[in-house]
Amino acid sequence: MKTFSVSSANLNSTKFNLKLCVLLLSAFAFALPAAAQTSVSGVYVIKGAKIFTLAGAPIDNGIVVIRDGKIAAVGANVDVPSDAQVIDGSGLSVYPGMFDPVTQLGLEEVGAVKATVDTEETGEFNPDVTAATAFNADSAHVDVTRAAGITEVLTVPGSLGGFGGGSSTIGGNASAVNLGGWNINDMVIERHAAMELTWPSISTGSFDLTTFTFRQLPFEEAKQQYQKKVDALSDLFDKARHYAQAMQSGATDFPHDLKLEALSRVVEGKEPLLVVAFSARDIRNAVEFCEKQKVRMILGGASEAWKTIDLLKKDNIPVIIGPVLSMPQSEDDAYDSEYAMPGQLYAAGIKIAFGSFNTSMSRRLPQMAGTSVGYGLPQEEALKAVTVNAAQMLGINDIGTIEPGKVANVVVTNGDLLELRTQVKYLFIKGQLTSLDNKQLDLYNRFRARPKAATP
Amino acid sequence: MNATRTNAKMNALRALAILAVFALLPLAARAQDDSGITLIKNATIITITHGRIEHGSLLIRDGKIADVGTDVQAPAGAKVIDASGMFVMPGIIDCHTHIAVDGDVNEGSISVSSMANIKDVLNPYDVDIYHELAGGVVIGNVLHGSANPIGGQTIVIKLKYGAPPEELPFPDAIPGIKFALGENVKHSNFGGPVPRYPDTRMGVEETIRNAFTRAKQYQKDWADYNQRKAAGEQNLIPPRRDLQLEPLVEVLEGKRYIHCHSYVSDEILMLIRVAHDMGFKVRTFQHVLEGYKVADEMVEAGAGGSTFSDWWAYKMEAYEAIPYNAAVMTRRGVIVSVNSDDADEARHLNQEAAKSMHYGDLTENEALRLVTLNPAIQLGIDNHVGSIETGKDADLVIYNHDPLSVYAVVQKTIIDGKVYFDRNEDLANRAALAKEKQDLIEKEKNEGKPAPKAEEKENGEKKPAKKPSRKPKKSNATPQDAPQLAATEIGGAR
Amino acid sequence: MKQQSRIHLLTVSLVVSALCAIAVLASSPVALAQQQSGLSISAGLAQTGEPRFFAIKDARIVPVSGPVIEKGTVVVANGIITAVGTDVTIPPEAAVVDGTGLTVYPGLIDAGATVGLTAEENAGPAGGRGRGPRSATPAKIYNGPQDRPQTTPWVVAADELNPNDPRIQNWRNAGFTTALVEPEGGIFPGQGSVVDLGDERAGNMVVSLRATLGIDFQLSGNFASFPSSLMGAVSYVRQVFIDTRWYQNAEDVYNAHQSGIERPPYDRTEVVVGNALKNNELVLLPAGDKLAIYRAIRLAKEWQIRAAMYGAQEGYSLSNEIAASKLPVFVNVNWPKMEKGADEDALTLRELRLWDRAPSTPAALSKAGVTYAFYSGGLSNPKDILKNVKKAIDAGLSADDALKAMTVNPAQMLGVADRLGSIEQGKIANLVVTDGDLFGEKTKIKDVFVDGMRYEVHEEAPPGPPGGKSMPMQQNNEGVQQ
Repeated sequence: MKTFSVSSANLNSTKFNLKLCVLLLSAFAFALPAAAQTSVSGVYVIKGAKIFTLAGAPIDNGIVVIRDGKIAAVGANVDVPSDAQVIDGSGLSVYPGMFDPVTQLGLEEVGAVKATVDTEETGEFNPDVTAATAFNADSAHVDVTRAAGITEVLTVPGSLGGFGGGSSTIGGNASAVNLGGWNINDMVIERHAAMELTWPSISTGSFDLTTFTFRQLPFEEAKQQYQKKVDALSDLFDKARHYAQAMQSGATDFPHDLKLEALSRVVEGKEPLLVVAFSARDIRNAVEFCEKQKVRMILGGASEAWKTIDLLKKDNIPVIIGPVLSMPQSEDDAYDSEYAMPGQLYAAGIKIAFGSFNTSMSRRLPQMAGTSVGYGLPQEEALKAVTVNAAQMLGINDIGTIEPGKVANVVVTNGDLLELRTQVKYLFIKGQLTSLDNKQLDLYNRFRARPKAATP
Repeated sequence: MNATRTNAKMNALRALAILAVFALLPLAARAQDDSGITLIKNATIITITHGRIEHGSLLIRDGKIADVGTDVQAPAGAKVIDASGMFVMPGIIDCHTHIAVDGDVNEGSISVSSMANIKDVLNPYDVDIYHELAGGVVIGNVLHGSANPIGGQTIVIKLKYGAPPEELPFPDAIPGIKFALGENVKHSNFGGPVPRYPDTRMGVEETIRNAFTRAKQYQKDWADYNQRKAAGEQNLIPPRRDLQLEPLVEVLEGKRYIHCHSYVSDEILMLIRVAHDMGFKVRTFQHVLEGYKVADEMVEAGAGGSTFSDWWAYKMEAYEAIPYNAAVMTRRGVIVSVNSDDADEARHLNQEAAKSMHYGDLTENEALRLVTLNPAIQLGIDNHVGSIETGKDADLVIYNHDPLSVYAVVQKTIIDGKVYFDRNEDLANRAALAKEKQDLIEKEKNEGKPAPKAEEKENGEKKPAKKPSRKPKKSNATPQDAPQLAATEIGGAR
Repeated sequence: MKQQSRIHLLTVSLVVSALCAIAVLASSPVALAQQQSGLSISAGLAQTGEPRFFAIKDARIVPVSGPVIEKGTVVVANGIITAVGTDVTIPPEAAVVDGTGLTVYPGLIDAGATVGLTAEENAGPAGGRGRGPRSATPAKIYNGPQDRPQTTPWVVAADELNPNDPRIQNWRNAGFTTALVEPEGGIFPGQGSVVDLGDERAGNMVVSLRATLGIDFQLSGNFASFPSSLMGAVSYVRQVFIDTRWYQNAEDVYNAHQSGIERPPYDRTEVVVGNALKNNELVLLPAGDKLAIYRAIRLAKEWQIRAAMYGAQEGYSLSNEIAASKLPVFVNVNWPKMEKGADEDALTLRELRLWDRAPSTPAALSKAGVTYAFYSGGLSNPKDILKNVKKAIDAGLSADDALKAMTVNPAQMLGVADRLGSIEQGKIANLVVTDGDLFGEKTKIKDVFVDGMRYEVHEEAPPGPPGGKSMPMQQNNEGVQQ
């Protein structure tokens, strides 16, 4: 995407300038990719819409001013700059853009095609790898996902609790990325936003694809294997702490270890640890580990967190909930345990957000949030849980609400953001009006326009 | 004078009579509690075929919809469900499901496994059934998996959780058979101990042609034999009965529906071509994620499309899937349903249907048709279900909000007039079930303590082989009356 | 010599011969037995050793087929019960066992075991019914029903008997004189034989050679080999019955008119299964859980076979349906329970309920009028069989019905009721003598008689390898789906 900054003043000058500008414009227009900017001034005004700032009560008939990539002003009575492109917001709603805090978008194009998959590196511990490195800015998923109102994602390397199909424990650095920009440098918000750790599970069964057979392990044996993994993890953190101490002390005569260096950020509390765990047992063990290691923990996945509410509350651990739309873990669990959990966690004072835990399901975030509302989560909290909450968990404090000074990642819809039939009408990323064109929309337009074959 | 006394007398008698009736009414109500009459009162009734009825009521008798309208009265003794503020619609029909199956849903060893039959392995105790009832699903098209070009025989069931297996199949529904095309049957995305034909889409076509060629020969052999026998010929040895070919003959005779898992346009067109050449019809293309590209051809071939809402890009053949698929096919005249293929997904098919208003321009009723009347038509059961009309089966679901809203929560799910899911009862039963489980665990632990029997080994085969999915779900231990059955039992005792 | 002398000589010779004959006959136990009972000469099932003449005197006798005799005598000779009652003459050649304070029961029948089949014959390390050597890791890939996967119906247990299997003694010491011994492994593992648990030659042990035809919906264990699913296995067995009947008919037609018709191909399975059906062998269908019970009922009817179901531990939940089907039931008394070291977080209410209620199945079946017998189902210590039966009694089963399920019922179900299952004159002399009630916790078994041979029970011998038929395989592999 390219930013235009030809001012209207220029266009109104001499004929020569006009011709030049038209030539330039057409040249640029030809060179532009489909996801093009349309504003000429960088200043936008959305007028007459219902504005959900998520920093106070919604404003029924409000104005948002966007300038230089940020929210310049928002309110019921706000001055409209003369150089602004005005969007008529009557009948429309304005929200902060949504944030998917656990996805592998950009790291994988087609799951079954290995060449397109860069989600998980080989080996048990990879704290030094960084998702932003492998993020494919031209992935079809980017345009498709933002057209549904998601403006930022945290793209997370690693196993994500087995979703990725792999089994590594530390997957690497998750990167926060805007879903708009020319390339990753343009799009990245924070390279080392969180460290992924999939809590080892006690695994009694496995399916061998090469022999097409099941293998069963007795529980006791599986438990021992699990314990070995946890011990190895513990040792690694101890080493990282020592490494951090050595670095801090100023000593220089020890070899650099990129893995320990990366993990130092975590043990020093500079980078939060995103621990993916689903079962109550895994959650408890993970919390115990993080307490001992004194790291900033964010719990991800958390299917059975409803069984560990007191523990999470005690340690003030925020939770990114994954499987809201999934079945409960045990056949004896209440049928709505996943639907009701977000509301229960919120009621206990735990900070929650929703994450897709997928590469292509970010657009289900509002569906997850809306479903939780049906089972008890307050509407306003649900909105926060798909926008600002996750950003706050990660310490990214300039996105997620519509307030002056915040980055202008904004979505304009024709209805309730969480409702299924609501469509995105306008999308702003870093204050730039962003195209909603995408691969799926293209195919839709093409084939609905196919002429009907003459009947024989 | 006399008239007045007579009137008074009449009045007195009348009063007595009325009193008597009122006195007897509770008795009558009790006696007729088993009459199978239920009135659902004062809801927004979404009929699908005749619009929405505001403040409507619906009378159920003997498992059927007896009356629908704005002033339907309950006969004495009817059970009344006050549905004020709620929404009633036909129960959801999931046209592609793998729940309720005992064991593997795939006989994936050979490329034509039509001898296998889902009907032999129906499992009414699968807790997924209960979960789906809680999501408003009443009927499922239970399919063989997609491991083979020609898979096993399939069946339509009513989700009568906990009923004996014989009671699950939808009465008189035409049976089906599962076909599959594309990457799964080619084993594209996984290996195996031996390479199996077919390995390309070309081989998939030949596998199907070959099977039908053999089926036609089989048909002919039997026709010849029967003719000769009828003509009085003696000493005839009949042809062998072949369970693999008989379902294919039924397809040729139009007595069995083909439900074909398919993704990309070229393979959809392939099967249409083969069907045309070999003289059979495809009833539905399942998933059919590129159906939007060949919708006209599907219409011409008379095939329905049963698709996902918004899954894509997990396989190469799903890379050009679009969430507008259902809308595009619908506009071009295909009968379209939205299915789940997955027990998790099936719990919110109403939500998946609504997406075609976001991705596409379907109206509210068109969206709801995707999970009600359209799948009923595809399965040939629309005479009985799929819309709210008098005479149809009382397969209904009650929501607390408009079913197209993300905020809607299923309150009750009814099949043949019987409540199979009731949210309030589910909530009320939880404490007792939890206690029962805790007590039994304690009992089991204490029993084991005194004398551990060293030699006694549990039979390894009895332990379930747990499916190694990333979301470890239910154990497939001996299927049995599952906990939530209590709700059913209570609901049924009327 | 004159005529008088000749007659005299004749008389003397006659008398002498007679005396000699009497002397000879008198010393022959056979003759005595003949004189006593009037039966024909025994087939000599026992070889050398103790003569098989016994009487248990003044014991409490539980015939099962009639009322209990508080104080009576049982006489056996050459493997047959020759007398039972209160007023019985004990022949002089009989060794007398003082039955004071003792109880005599019919020898118990284990209606499903692999006792007597050695480890090579047996399937799997646990000896349980299930993954036999044929199916553990298949070298062969089966490509359809025509390949006859895991099919060996021609294996007859009696032909594979090893009388030196130490489990035979263990079972006997636990009171079991008879077992239905069945080959294991595969979909058609073979035919079961009713076998008396003596330790003579294998042939001496066989009571009924081909009593049952076993079926198990065993999977290949490998997704590339047919059948890899339960429904595939069911369809395979269905096809086998179809093929068998086709062959029977085709063979008849062909044999009558060989000229001009192409001969039907020879398929060993079709021949053997055909013969089994013709001989009215009891077909055993798996009933490992509630679904399988329903399935067994359905398939027995569909396939028009004389069948029984085995397993049936969930029978408590559908005893009326079982009764209505009229299928006899082999109940596996190896009641399921929580494994030691199991993952407690993974326990389900469903299985907990099963563990709690399974022992109530026999009582429920009795109440519904079902005919059933017990089998050991993979229990390795045969003493646990009675212990587990006791659990069923604690759960509501009457002791009488419990005893029937190990005596007359299996005898009747296996077609040997005329010879086994009760203490009646003329039946096979299989007895168990205890010092108390059979189900009493402290009761000891003192003697066991198998085919009329006495085996005194001393200290318990160390149990050998497990030797029973366990639960049929649960079909619950979920595979690749889309």
